[in-house]
Amino acid sequence: MKIDINYIARVEGESSVKLEIEEGKLKELRLNIWEPPRFFEGFLVGRKFDEVPDIVARICGICPVSHMTTAIRAMENAFGLTPSPEVKRIRKILALSQILSSHLAHLYILALPDFFRLNSVVEMLPHFEKDIKRFLRLKEAANSITALFGGRALHPVSMVVGGFTKVPSKADTEKAAWELESLHGDALETLKMASELKCPALENHAEFVALKGKGEYAINGGMISSTKGLNIKEHEYASYFIEDEVPYSNAKRTILKDRGSLMAGALSRINLGFDNLLPDAKKASEDLGFTGGGNPFLNNLAQAVEIVHALQECAILLRGLSLKSVKNYFADFKVREGAGSALTEAPRGMLYHYYEIDGRGVITKANIVTPTAHNFLNLEESLKKLVTENIDKPEEELILMCEMLVRAYDPCFSCSVH
Amino acid sequence: MNKLRLGFFKYSCCMGCSYFFAYVQKHVPEVLASFDFVFIKLLSRKGIPEGPFDIALVEGTITEAWQVDELKMIREHSKKLFAIGSCAVIGGIPAIKATSPELEVEKRVYKNLSSIHSIKPHAVDAYVKVDGYIRGCPPVERDLYEALTSVLTGRKPDFPQYSVCIECKLKGNICVLIADDMPCMGPVTNAGCGALCPSMNRACYSCFGPMKQANAPGLAKKFKAMGISRDDIIRKFTEFGADTIEFRKAVEMVYED
Repeated sequence: MKIDINYIARVEGESSVKLEIEEGKLKELRLNIWEPPRFFEGFLVGRKFDEVPDIVARICGICPVSHMTTAIRAMENAFGLTPSPEVKRIRKILALSQILSSHLAHLYILALPDFFRLNSVVEMLPHFEKDIKRFLRLKEAANSITALFGGRALHPVSMVVGGFTKVPSKADTEKAAWELESLHGDALETLKMASELKCPALENHAEFVALKGKGEYAINGGMISSTKGLNIKEHEYASYFIEDEVPYSNAKRTILKDRGSLMAGALSRINLGFDNLLPDAKKASEDLGFTGGGNPFLNNLAQAVEIVHALQECAILLRGLSLKSVKNYFADFKVREGAGSALTEAPRGMLYHYYEIDGRGVITKANIVTPTAHNFLNLEESLKKLVTENIDKPEEELILMCEMLVRAYDPCFSCSVH
Repeated sequence: MNKLRLGFFKYSCCMGCSYFFAYVQKHVPEVLASFDFVFIKLLSRKGIPEGPFDIALVEGTITEAWQVDELKMIREHSKKLFAIGSCAVIGGIPAIKATSPELEVEKRVYKNLSSIHSIKPHAVDAYVKVDGYIRGCPPVERDLYEALTSVLTGRKPDFPQYSVCIECKLKGNICVLIADDMPCMGPVTNAGCGALCPSMNRACYSCFGPMKQANAPGLAKKFKAMGISRDDIIRKFTEFGADTIEFRKAVEMVYED
């Protein structure tokens, strides 16, 4: 029997799953990422360093802040520029606001309908009005934080190499913090809702990889750590991770050298950084008996825990800003020939950017590895396992389970091909 | 009232327009009440790509041949077709690829090109007739609702047809081009964003693309007089407008000069 899920709906970007079952056994399974390539790494060559953040933002419509921040940090590393603590704080606020809006969209409109055997959020609306309204409240608050600092929620404009071109007023950030604090109950409700979703059992012995910080839940930088003992610095990335082309996919596949597949994303961050969560998120999660795990379906729950954490951390950071004059948020620097790389935790997992720059500030080489490229092999392996363990299920059921698993990884196929 | 049948199609892009559309801010109930979502991958399983549609929204640059075939099919089955976002409207960021020889760019990304089937990137209206342009990267709500409500009420949509400069003046901004010597693309860029970048102390980079009949060579001359290098001027006009006639004129002028 051949099954061809010719497009996976409710994920970002284009992919299909093809599988063949013969005499009750899975013969072959392929995750075909047919998202058309746009060749960012190709056409970035010849562009000027200061255009790069605006250009790479367009790799992804959901995580532009991550691509911009990673590119900016890579170039600052190349120029030997260390941003001020306040600039770092604002970058983290932007990243957290984007994690919030990405996770919220994933949980409520991409993942949720499956659990009620519905095709879309449109079909959910009549029965789940309360949940959808909660989603809209949270999502609007998250988007307004991104827009407050970035000018707009999608493809923000204030983020540049060196810092920010404009910062909001203290009164505006206080108001934003207050708004977030008032939504704490909504975040906890979201976590409760996610904890009640019944997920299929599925073991996954992959190496979970995420950035890890000292005493903070790492987002923009940190040590590259794994559940199997990896503990390396950002600039050592290229000696440990290998990117390879796959004949049936436009996305490249990244593995750990001599180790194999890995999983990145919210579940990895929880598995590695649970102790660094803020006390409220930690306690709420522990009360549900969740402190991490191997089943990739738990990624949904991990995202909900991060929603509780991110909402609170974002408010704390907003309250801590001094916001003096805009001059304090932009550091002068000298363009010089060199190379720089950086990693951040995008909503869907670890994101890597690398640039080589000539003396005039023109890019001569670019490399970008996205969370979904990191997850590609592990997702395929998990799909094989899921199908093997549920091979007797009716075809419709098996198709839905495969789709649910793909969605649980929260892939971004647009990012993965770029 | 029968709901209008809506289709949303994605080609080569960041899918930000779908995402923007899926999250329709405060107008969710109104939009849901007025349209039947026949096909939108980001929101729903089991959509019907064949339509028919009262309104089709198309995002993304056309970069592969199958997209041309599908686009023509959609056009045939749609009463109104709108291009949404800079990729679909003007070619956008993916069109930067066309500023270098094609294979050169592709070879920088893939070792094996045998399974890569890209064609020269173009906007949607290079292949089919378009009934309206929802500009921007990302677009703004005002233009999206203008498109939707024009179909609902059966009138012609009314989009801004002037430059970012007008919005800047209305906001009372100090001109960053004249006062701060920033290479601002505002004079030749279509309005809609509310003069976002100049309001954030930076030069417009034309993410809404050229305004119709923009005097791009004139602005290029101004940049040159400001001491901006030839390569930097070309980059300004090829970031979002590499596939547009208006901006190509500026690039040609700079080359000939």
